[in-house]
Amino acid sequence: MKTQIETSPEVTCEISTSDKSTNYFDESIDLGILLELGSIGAGHAATSLSDVIQQQVQIEVPTIHKIPPAALYKRYKDQADLPKTAVYMNLADSECDILLMFDLAESKKIAAMMTMAPSVEELDPAMEESAIQELANIIIGSFLSAISDFTGVLLMPTTPTRVVDTLGAIMDNFIVKEAMLFEEALIFDTHFKRIDEDASLMLMLFPSPKLLEMLIQKSKEQTGL
Amino acid sequence: MPLKTVSQTLTPQTMTIETSAIPALEEVRVDMAELKAENRPVELVTSVGSCVAICLHDSTKKCGGLAHIMLPDSTISPNESLPAKFADTAVPALVRAINNLGGNPACLSAKVAGGANMFPNFANSLQIGKRNVEAVETALKKNSIKLIAEDVGGSSGRRISYNTATGVGSVRKFNGGVTIL
Repeated sequence: MKTQIETSPEVTCEISTSDKSTNYFDESIDLGILLELGSIGAGHAATSLSDVIQQQVQIEVPTIHKIPPAALYKRYKDQADLPKTAVYMNLADSECDILLMFDLAESKKIAAMMTMAPSVEELDPAMEESAIQELANIIIGSFLSAISDFTGVLLMPTTPTRVVDTLGAIMDNFIVKEAMLFEEALIFDTHFKRIDEDASLMLMLFPSPKLLEMLIQKSKEQTGL
Repeated sequence: MPLKTVSQTLTPQTMTIETSAIPALEEVRVDMAELKAENRPVELVTSVGSCVAICLHDSTKKCGGLAHIMLPDSTISPNESLPAKFADTAVPALVRAINNLGGNPACLSAKVAGGANMFPNFANSLQIGKRNVEAVETALKKNSIKLIAEDVGGSSGRRISYNTATGVGSVRKFNGGVTIL
Protein backbone atom coordinates (compact mmCIF):
# COMPACT_ATOMS: atom_id res chain seq x y z
CA MET A 1 0.00 0.00 0.00
CA LYS A 2 1.25 3.43 -0.86
CA THR A 3 2.02 5.54 2.13
CA GLN A 4 0.11 8.76 2.40
CA ILE A 5 0.75 11.29 5.10
CA GLU A 6 -1.71 14.06 5.79
CA THR A 7 -0.29 16.99 7.64
CA SER A 8 -2.04 19.98 9.02
CA PRO A 9 -1.64 23.08 6.85
CA GLU A 10 -0.65 25.16 9.81
CA VAL A 11 1.40 24.72 12.90
CA THR A 12 0.36 26.49 16.04
CA CYS A 13 2.23 27.36 19.13
CA GLU A 14 0.40 27.41 22.42
CA ILE A 15 2.01 29.56 25.05
CA SER A 16 0.61 30.11 28.48
CA THR A 17 -0.03 33.56 29.89
CA SER A 18 2.34 32.97 32.78
CA ASP A 19 4.47 36.01 33.54
CA LYS A 20 7.35 33.95 34.88
CA SER A 21 10.46 34.19 32.77
CA THR A 22 13.02 31.57 31.92
CA ASN A 23 16.63 32.16 31.14
CA TYR A 24 16.75 29.79 28.22
CA PHE A 25 13.80 30.84 26.20
CA ASP A 26 13.19 34.50 25.50
CA GLU A 27 12.39 35.02 21.86
CA SER A 28 9.37 34.00 19.83
CA ILE A 29 11.67 33.08 16.99
CA ASP A 30 13.13 30.35 19.20
CA LEU A 31 9.68 28.89 19.74
CA GLY A 32 9.16 28.90 16.00
CA ILE A 33 12.45 27.10 15.44
CA LEU A 34 11.61 24.44 17.99
CA LEU A 35 8.16 23.94 16.59
CA GLU A 36 9.58 23.61 13.09
CA LEU A 37 12.09 21.05 14.35
CA GLY A 38 9.29 19.16 16.06
CA SER A 39 7.21 19.21 12.91
CA ILE A 40 10.09 17.81 10.86
CA GLY A 41 10.51 15.04 13.42
CA ALA A 42 6.78 14.36 13.55
CA GLY A 43 6.57 14.05 9.77
CA HIS A 44 9.31 11.42 9.74
CA ALA A 45 7.77 9.62 12.70
CA ALA A 46 4.40 9.48 10.95
CA THR A 47 6.01 8.04 7.82
CA SER A 48 7.66 5.33 9.89
CA LEU A 49 4.41 4.52 11.67
CA SER A 50 2.63 4.31 8.35
CA ASP A 51 5.32 1.99 6.96
CA VAL A 52 5.06 -0.35 9.93
CA ILE A 53 1.28 -0.65 10.07
CA GLN A 54 0.77 -0.30 6.29
CA GLN A 55 -1.98 2.25 6.76
CA GLN A 56 -2.41 5.93 6.12
CA VAL A 57 -1.54 8.11 9.07
CA GLN A 58 -2.70 11.59 9.91
CA ILE A 59 -0.70 14.06 12.00
CA GLU A 60 -2.62 16.49 14.13
CA VAL A 61 -1.31 19.98 14.79
CA PRO A 62 1.89 19.81 16.84
CA THR A 63 2.01 22.17 19.82
CA ILE A 64 4.57 23.56 22.20
CA HIS A 65 3.56 24.42 25.75
CA LYS A 66 5.68 26.73 27.82
CA ILE A 67 3.90 26.54 31.14
CA PRO A 68 4.35 25.86 34.84
CA PRO A 69 4.37 22.06 35.15
CA ALA A 70 1.35 21.98 37.48
CA ALA A 71 -0.71 23.77 34.83
CA LEU A 72 -0.03 20.91 32.42
CA TYR A 73 -2.21 18.70 34.60
CA LYS A 74 -5.27 20.79 33.75
CA ARG A 75 -5.02 19.68 30.11
CA TYR A 76 -5.46 16.04 31.04
CA LYS A 77 -7.42 15.96 34.28
CA ASP A 78 -10.75 15.28 32.59
CA GLN A 79 -9.25 12.15 31.03
CA ALA A 80 -7.24 11.16 34.10
CA ASP A 81 -8.93 7.78 34.55
CA LEU A 82 -8.64 6.62 30.91
CA PRO A 83 -6.46 3.53 30.40
CA LYS A 84 -3.35 4.11 28.31
CA THR A 85 -0.37 2.19 27.06
CA ALA A 86 2.72 4.34 27.54
CA VAL A 87 6.25 3.82 26.32
CA TYR A 88 8.99 5.85 27.95
CA MET A 89 12.44 6.55 26.54
CA ASN A 90 14.99 9.22 27.28
CA LEU A 91 18.16 10.38 25.68
CA ALA A 92 21.38 8.67 26.64
CA ASP A 93 22.55 11.86 28.35
CA SER A 94 19.15 12.27 30.12
CA GLU A 95 18.53 15.64 28.46
CA CYS A 96 15.04 14.76 27.27
CA ASP A 97 12.23 12.53 28.49
CA ILE A 98 10.14 11.06 25.69
CA LEU A 99 6.70 9.56 26.13
CA LEU A 100 4.57 7.83 23.51
CA MET A 101 1.01 7.12 24.63
CA PHE A 102 -1.70 5.04 23.00
CA ASP A 103 -5.29 4.46 23.98
CA LEU A 104 -5.13 0.96 25.45
CA ALA A 105 -7.52 -0.51 22.86
CA GLU A 106 -5.60 1.14 20.02
CA SER A 107 -2.26 -0.26 21.17
CA LYS A 108 -3.78 -3.73 21.22
CA LYS A 109 -5.17 -3.30 17.70
CA ILE A 110 -1.82 -2.10 16.38
CA ALA A 111 0.08 -4.87 18.17
CA ALA A 112 -2.32 -7.42 16.70
CA MET A 113 -1.66 -6.03 13.23
CA MET A 114 2.10 -6.06 13.75
CA THR A 115 2.20 -9.61 15.07
CA MET A 116 -0.42 -10.88 12.63
CA ALA A 117 -2.53 -12.17 15.50
CA PRO A 118 -5.93 -13.41 14.29
CA SER A 119 -7.67 -11.01 16.69
CA VAL A 120 -6.98 -8.69 19.61
CA GLU A 121 -8.36 -11.33 21.97
CA GLU A 122 -5.77 -13.84 20.74
CA LEU A 123 -2.86 -11.45 21.16
CA ASP A 124 -0.04 -12.92 23.23
CA PRO A 125 0.80 -10.45 26.05
CA ALA A 126 4.56 -10.84 25.65
CA MET A 127 4.29 -10.34 21.90
CA GLU A 128 2.07 -7.33 22.47
CA GLU A 129 4.61 -5.68 24.76
CA SER A 130 7.45 -6.44 22.41
CA ALA A 131 5.56 -5.09 19.38
CA ILE A 132 4.60 -1.84 21.09
CA GLN A 133 8.14 -1.29 22.34
CA GLU A 134 9.45 -1.95 18.86
CA LEU A 135 6.94 0.45 17.34
CA ALA A 136 7.88 3.13 19.87
CA ASN A 137 11.52 2.56 19.06
CA ILE A 138 10.81 3.11 15.37
CA ILE A 139 8.59 6.18 15.83
CA ILE A 140 10.80 7.89 18.39
CA GLY A 141 13.97 6.89 16.55
CA SER A 142 12.62 8.43 13.32
CA PHE A 143 11.61 11.59 15.15
CA LEU A 144 15.02 12.01 16.74
CA SER A 145 17.08 11.08 13.69
CA ALA A 146 15.24 13.67 11.58
CA ILE A 147 16.12 16.36 14.11
CA SER A 148 19.68 15.05 14.38
CA ASP A 149 20.06 15.19 10.61
CA PHE A 150 18.85 18.79 10.52
CA THR A 151 20.80 20.14 13.48
CA GLY A 152 23.84 17.88 13.64
CA VAL A 153 23.09 17.25 17.34
CA LEU A 154 23.39 13.57 18.25
CA LEU A 155 20.16 12.39 19.90
CA MET A 156 20.59 8.81 21.04
CA PRO A 157 17.58 7.24 22.78
CA THR A 158 17.72 4.63 25.52
CA THR A 159 15.81 1.35 25.39
CA PRO A 160 12.02 1.66 25.73
CA THR A 161 9.96 0.79 28.80
CA ARG A 162 6.23 0.06 28.50
CA VAL A 163 3.59 0.47 31.18
CA VAL A 164 -0.19 0.24 31.11
CA ASP A 165 -2.00 2.52 33.54
CA THR A 166 -4.32 5.50 33.68
CA LEU A 167 -3.46 8.73 31.91
CA GLY A 168 -3.49 10.64 35.18
CA ALA A 169 -1.00 8.34 36.88
CA ILE A 170 1.33 8.29 33.87
CA MET A 171 1.34 12.07 33.41
CA ASP A 172 1.79 12.58 37.15
CA ASN A 173 5.35 11.23 36.96
CA PHE A 174 6.43 13.65 34.25
CA ILE A 175 4.67 16.68 35.69
CA VAL A 176 6.23 16.08 39.10
CA LYS A 177 9.72 15.64 37.68
CA GLU A 178 9.41 18.87 35.68
CA ALA A 179 8.06 20.68 38.74
CA MET A 180 10.96 19.40 40.81
CA LEU A 181 13.50 20.81 38.39
CA PHE A 182 11.92 23.84 36.72
CA GLU A 183 9.44 26.62 37.44
CA GLU A 184 8.43 26.50 33.81
CA ALA A 185 8.66 23.60 31.43
CA LEU A 186 8.69 23.49 27.67
CA ILE A 187 6.81 20.52 26.34
CA PHE A 188 6.26 19.47 22.75
CA ASP A 189 3.41 17.19 21.79
CA THR A 190 1.90 15.85 18.62
CA HIS A 191 -0.80 13.33 17.79
CA PHE A 192 -0.92 10.65 15.11
CA LYS A 193 -4.07 8.92 13.97
CA ARG A 194 -4.84 6.09 11.65
CA ILE A 195 -7.18 7.35 8.96
CA ASP A 196 -10.82 6.72 9.90
CA GLU A 197 -9.91 5.86 13.49
CA ASP A 198 -10.79 8.02 16.49
CA ALA A 199 -8.01 6.82 18.75
CA SER A 200 -4.74 8.67 18.58
CA LEU A 201 -1.13 8.20 19.59
CA MET A 202 0.43 11.08 21.49
CA LEU A 203 4.14 11.78 21.40
CA MET A 204 5.41 14.11 24.13
CA LEU A 205 8.90 15.43 24.69
CA PHE A 206 10.21 17.12 27.83
CA PRO A 207 13.58 18.58 26.78
CA SER A 208 16.03 20.11 29.23
CA PRO A 209 17.02 23.79 28.89
CA LYS A 210 20.52 22.66 27.91
CA LEU A 211 19.21 20.59 25.00
CA LEU A 212 16.86 23.36 23.91
CA GLU A 213 19.69 25.88 23.82
CA MET A 214 21.79 23.50 21.76
CA LEU A 215 19.01 22.74 19.28
CA ILE A 216 18.15 26.43 18.84
CA GLN A 217 21.79 27.40 18.38
CA LYS A 218 22.50 24.64 15.86
CA SER A 219 19.30 25.36 13.94
CA LYS A 220 20.25 29.03 13.68
CA GLU A 221 23.65 28.05 12.37
CA GLN A 222 22.08 25.74 9.78
CA THR A 223 19.54 28.28 8.55
CA GLY A 224 21.66 31.41 8.89
CA LEU A 225 19.18 33.09 11.24
CA MET B 1 10.35 0.99 62.35
CA PRO B 2 7.94 -0.51 59.80
CA LEU B 3 4.46 0.95 59.93
CA LYS B 4 1.69 -1.30 61.16
CA THR B 5 -1.13 -0.95 58.66
CA VAL B 6 -4.75 -1.91 58.88
CA SER B 7 -5.06 -2.39 55.16
CA GLN B 8 -6.88 -5.29 53.62
CA THR B 9 -6.58 -6.35 50.01
CA LEU B 10 -9.76 -7.53 48.35
CA THR B 11 -10.26 -9.10 45.00
CA PRO B 12 -12.15 -6.95 42.48
CA GLN B 13 -15.05 -9.42 42.59
CA THR B 14 -15.38 -9.11 46.38
CA MET B 15 -15.26 -5.35 46.09
CA THR B 16 -18.07 -5.34 43.54
CA ILE B 17 -20.30 -7.25 45.89
CA GLU B 18 -19.52 -4.96 48.80
CA THR B 19 -19.95 -1.67 46.99
CA SER B 20 -23.23 -2.73 45.41
CA ALA B 21 -24.73 -2.92 48.88
CA ILE B 22 -23.63 0.58 49.88
CA PRO B 23 -25.49 3.69 48.67
CA ALA B 24 -23.20 5.70 46.41
CA LEU B 25 -21.90 8.90 47.93
CA GLU B 26 -21.23 12.04 45.96
CA GLU B 27 -17.72 11.98 44.49
CA VAL B 28 -15.65 15.12 44.90
CA ARG B 29 -12.54 15.23 42.73
CA VAL B 30 -9.29 16.51 44.25
CA ASP B 31 -6.86 17.62 41.56
CA MET B 32 -3.09 17.73 41.67
CA ALA B 33 -1.79 20.30 44.20
CA GLU B 34 -5.28 20.70 45.65
CA LEU B 35 -6.79 19.88 49.03
CA LYS B 36 -10.40 19.50 50.03
CA ALA B 37 -12.04 19.02 53.42
CA GLU B 38 -15.67 18.04 54.08
CA ASN B 39 -17.90 17.69 57.13
CA ARG B 40 -20.58 15.90 55.14
CA PRO B 41 -20.28 12.32 53.90
CA VAL B 42 -18.65 12.36 50.45
CA GLU B 43 -16.04 10.35 48.60
CA LEU B 44 -12.94 12.46 47.97
CA VAL B 45 -11.37 11.03 44.84
CA THR B 46 -7.96 11.49 43.26
CA SER B 47 -5.45 9.63 41.07
CA VAL B 48 -1.73 9.56 41.80
CA GLY B 49 1.45 8.12 40.34
CA SER B 50 4.53 9.47 42.08
CA CYS B 51 2.38 12.06 43.87
CA VAL B 52 0.93 11.19 47.28
CA ALA B 53 -2.63 11.44 48.60
CA ILE B 54 -2.79 12.42 52.28
CA CYS B 55 -6.11 11.57 53.93
CA LEU B 56 -6.90 12.98 57.38
CA HIS B 57 -9.92 12.00 59.45
CA ASP B 58 -11.49 13.07 62.74
CA SER B 59 -13.54 10.07 63.84
CA THR B 60 -15.20 12.03 66.65
CA LYS B 61 -16.62 14.71 64.35
CA LYS B 62 -16.97 12.45 61.27
CA CYS B 63 -15.14 14.85 59.01
CA GLY B 64 -11.98 14.66 56.98
CA GLY B 65 -9.99 15.83 54.02
CA LEU B 66 -7.59 14.85 51.29
CA ALA B 67 -4.52 16.61 49.88
CA HIS B 68 -2.88 15.59 46.59
CA ILE B 69 0.75 16.63 46.98
CA MET B 70 3.28 16.79 44.14
CA LEU B 71 6.59 17.57 45.80
CA PRO B 72 8.30 16.99 49.13
CA ASP B 73 9.56 20.37 50.21
CA SER B 74 8.31 23.95 49.73
CA THR B 75 11.74 25.50 50.14
CA ILE B 76 12.33 25.13 46.38
CA SER B 77 9.47 27.58 45.76
CA PRO B 78 8.88 29.80 48.82
CA ASN B 79 6.35 32.04 47.04
CA GLU B 80 4.11 29.20 45.94
CA SER B 81 0.44 30.02 46.44
CA LEU B 82 -0.79 26.42 46.52
CA PRO B 83 -0.02 24.90 49.94
CA ALA B 84 -1.22 21.48 48.79
CA LYS B 85 1.60 21.30 46.25
CA PHE B 86 4.18 20.36 48.90
CA ALA B 87 4.11 17.78 51.68
CA ASP B 88 5.43 20.15 54.35
CA THR B 89 2.83 22.86 53.67
CA ALA B 90 -0.08 20.58 52.71
CA VAL B 91 -0.36 18.85 56.08
CA PRO B 92 -0.83 22.00 58.21
CA ALA B 93 -3.10 23.50 55.53
CA LEU B 94 -5.30 20.40 55.53
CA VAL B 95 -5.41 20.41 59.34
CA ARG B 96 -6.58 24.05 59.25
CA ALA B 97 -9.23 23.27 56.64
CA ILE B 98 -10.64 20.42 58.75
CA ASN B 99 -10.45 22.55 61.88
CA ASN B 100 -12.47 25.28 60.12
CA LEU B 101 -15.21 22.70 59.54
CA GLY B 102 -15.36 21.79 63.23
CA GLY B 103 -12.79 19.00 63.28
CA ASN B 104 -10.41 18.68 66.18
CA PRO B 105 -6.71 18.71 65.16
CA ALA B 106 -5.87 16.61 68.23
CA CYS B 107 -8.20 13.82 67.04
CA LEU B 108 -6.84 13.45 63.49
CA SER B 109 -5.40 10.26 62.08
CA ALA B 110 -3.80 9.84 58.67
CA LYS B 111 -3.84 7.41 55.78
CA VAL B 112 -1.47 7.80 52.86
CA ALA B 113 -1.27 6.35 49.34
CA GLY B 114 0.94 6.93 46.30
CA GLY B 115 4.64 7.48 45.71
CA ALA B 116 4.98 4.99 42.87
CA ASN B 117 7.94 4.74 40.51
CA MET B 118 6.12 3.72 37.35
CA PHE B 119 9.03 3.65 34.90
CA PRO B 120 12.10 1.77 36.17
CA ASN B 121 14.54 3.92 34.22
CA PHE B 122 12.79 7.26 34.83
CA ALA B 123 14.47 9.95 36.93
CA ASN B 124 16.07 7.38 39.21
CA SER B 125 18.43 9.91 40.74
CA LEU B 126 15.51 12.06 41.87
CA GLN B 127 13.61 9.20 43.60
CA ILE B 128 10.51 11.35 43.40
CA GLY B 129 7.93 8.93 44.78
CA LYS B 130 10.10 7.76 47.66
CA ARG B 131 11.00 11.32 48.65
CA ASN B 132 7.35 12.36 48.54
CA VAL B 133 6.35 9.53 50.88
CA GLU B 134 9.19 10.27 53.31
CA ALA B 135 8.31 13.96 53.34
CA VAL B 136 4.66 13.20 54.08
CA GLU B 137 5.61 10.92 56.96
CA THR B 138 7.90 13.62 58.35
CA ALA B 139 5.23 16.31 58.01
CA LEU B 140 2.65 14.13 59.78
CA LYS B 141 5.06 13.48 62.63
CA LYS B 142 5.87 17.17 62.91
CA ASN B 143 2.15 17.94 63.19
CA SER B 144 1.61 15.13 65.73
CA ILE B 145 -0.74 13.20 63.49
CA LYS B 146 -0.72 9.42 63.76
CA LEU B 147 -0.24 7.55 60.48
CA ILE B 148 -2.47 4.49 60.79
CA ALA B 149 -2.33 3.00 57.28
CA GLU B 150 -0.50 3.41 54.02
CA ASP B 151 -0.23 1.92 50.55
CA VAL B 152 2.88 3.38 48.97
CA GLY B 153 5.66 2.68 46.46
CA GLY B 154 5.53 0.04 43.77
CA SER B 155 5.17 0.66 40.05
CA SER B 156 1.43 1.26 39.59
CA GLY B 157 -0.68 4.37 39.67
CA ARG B 158 -3.47 4.50 42.24
CA ARG B 159 -7.03 5.82 42.29
CA ILE B 160 -7.94 6.76 45.84
CA SER B 161 -11.48 7.17 47.08
CA TYR B 162 -11.75 8.44 50.65
CA ASN B 163 -14.97 8.44 52.66
CA THR B 164 -14.98 11.56 54.83
CA ALA B 165 -17.58 10.17 57.25
CA THR B 166 -16.00 6.80 57.94
CA GLY B 167 -12.36 7.55 57.19
CA VAL B 168 -12.19 4.45 55.01
CA GLY B 169 -9.98 4.73 51.94
CA SER B 170 -10.25 2.54 48.86
CA VAL B 171 -7.11 2.30 46.72
CA ARG B 172 -7.55 0.82 43.26
CA LYS B 173 -4.59 -0.05 41.07
CA PHE B 174 -4.80 -0.55 37.33
CA ASN B 175 -4.81 -4.29 36.56
CA GLY B 176 -4.79 -4.94 40.29
CA GLY B 177 -7.11 -5.44 43.19
CA VAL B 178 -8.50 -2.96 45.63
CA THR B 179 -6.78 -2.22 48.92
CA ILE B 180 -8.91 -0.92 51.75
CA LEU B 181 -7.14 1.44 54.13
